[in-house]
Amino acid sequence: MRRGETIRSVALGLALSAGAPASAHAAGYSEFLDSVQFRGFRAEASYTTDSNVTRAPAGDALSDRILGVRVSAGGVIPLSTRTRVAVQGFAGIQKFGTYTGLSNNFIGTQGDFFFRSSGEFTAATYGAFVRTAKEEYESTLRDGYRHAFGVTVQKPLTDRVQLFGALTRNISDGKSTVFDARSTSMRGNADWSLSRWDTVYLGADYRTGDSVSTVSRNDPIRTLGFADAASAIIPDDAFNDTTRDAYRLKAHTLIATLGYNRAFGERHALDVSLRRAQSSVQNADLKYTANQISVAYLGRF
Amino acid sequence: MRPWGELDDPRRRILIQALAAGFFSSAGNAAAQLFGRAPAKLPAGQSIYRVSGGVTVNAQQATLQTRIIPGDTVETAPNGEVIFAVAEEAFLLRGGSRMVIEKPPSGLTTALRLITGKVLSVFGRGRPTRIVTATSTIGIRGTGAYAETDPEQTYFCTCYGVADIAANSDPSSRETVSAKHHDKPLYILAKGKAGEAIRRAPFINHTDQELALIESLVGRTPPFVFPVDTYNAPRRDYP
Repeated sequence: MRRGETIRSVALGLALSAGAPASAHAAGYSEFLDSVQFRGFRAEASYTTDSNVTRAPAGDALSDRILGVRVSAGGVIPLSTRTRVAVQGFAGIQKFGTYTGLSNNFIGTQGDFFFRSSGEFTAATYGAFVRTAKEEYESTLRDGYRHAFGVTVQKPLTDRVQLFGALTRNISDGKSTVFDARSTSMRGNADWSLSRWDTVYLGADYRTGDSVSTVSRNDPIRTLGFADAASAIIPDDAFNDTTRDAYRLKAHTLIATLGYNRAFGERHALDVSLRRAQSSVQNADLKYTANQISVAYLGRF
Repeated sequence: MRPWGELDDPRRRILIQALAAGFFSSAGNAAAQLFGRAPAKLPAGQSIYRVSGGVTVNAQQATLQTRIIPGDTVETAPNGEVIFAVAEEAFLLRGGSRMVIEKPPSGLTTALRLITGKVLSVFGRGRPTRIVTATSTIGIRGTGAYAETDPEQTYFCTCYGVADIAANSDPSSRETVSAKHHDKPLYILAKGKAGEAIRRAPFINHTDQELALIESLVGRTPPFVFPVDTYNAPRRDYP
């Protein structure tokens, strides 16, 4: 990065955030507004089947169908030739077909800082992000906030393959302590462009930390195993078919994703994906798998 | 033990026969077709970086070995696409296109005629160039540009650089665009009122990644650092 650009970026940031004199601040604010590049609205409508919404071992795994809608709007603020900030706000709903207590609304915001050393085709883009969202469920215990921060890297490997990696710290703050969870995720994704409009993608996400499973009391031995391994337990108010308890557990989870994105021009795309999660609880012989099949329409306006 | 020169392991025999037949070379080419490759400056003597579907140069089927020089006509079938470089210039010619790389007139280093179809082009800095389409004549210098043309209209985006655009049918319809990043795409109409044959257009059908790709074939990088992702199809976010 040229030194002048760095100084300009830092000076602009400091002037905006640290209370420069009023006139300078007003000028900086005007300059700031002028520099924001609005990136438009995005909308996503999805239909997902989930084989295990309780995130529980076989016998307690309950399947459901989920309709989701998510809208977002964002903009980019160039700080220098090689650095920029992206901000977006998003909101959405998820409606569960059977276990309606899991249905939720969410609203949130995300900020990203990006650095790219040059416009060379294969140059990597490095990023750092912070995201926060408020979630409200039809049940009560899960209501709360979900925060995440982390670093990302994105690099075109060839003219058909693009790689993405992210290291993320997830923090959720629910109404019940069971849903106060912390986990770390390491994620990799490869996009393979078959043509300009067809992309196959493959993702792997390894998560370690707190995970919540909901299990009935039908099997006393298994219930005891969960109770021993759990750091917090509460009767789950999202399910009313029988008494089910939510357990906060330390778990390792591997999520694999295989997807296909078919674009219809620059503004519309159809996305089909298969996701499989395998989770094992630390220090206990408790495992579960969950499979999701999802179809989504994506639009930009 | 077998005499020297005779292979007792059938797997080794198959491997050596495959090597002799150039199997791995063609497998490498197939892998490059399938998974692509990192674009870099084309070696001297090579014009074509990638060719797919029906593509001809001077009515002969094009291959990666085909040379393209001024005076040649490049044509793509509807399912075809070719990415190539000529001297300091590089092009991505989309399907259903016909383009002539003209021998440049005096004072110009390049001239091309897009008879029909769609082409993304980058030109060497400080090299005066002329593009003629069905409805327009465009003089440019050090520019990345995207054009689509048919008998009714031409779409022209000055991706970066300076372009002097004139409507063929109306000498009074002229415009100079100085762009940093796709600032002012235009339609140049075949029929229009005097002075009004050039109109604003939306951004369509080309991406910053494609510009970066063809610039790299001639050893350059585009003037922007961050490709704008809104020129690509929307993708799903997985939190």
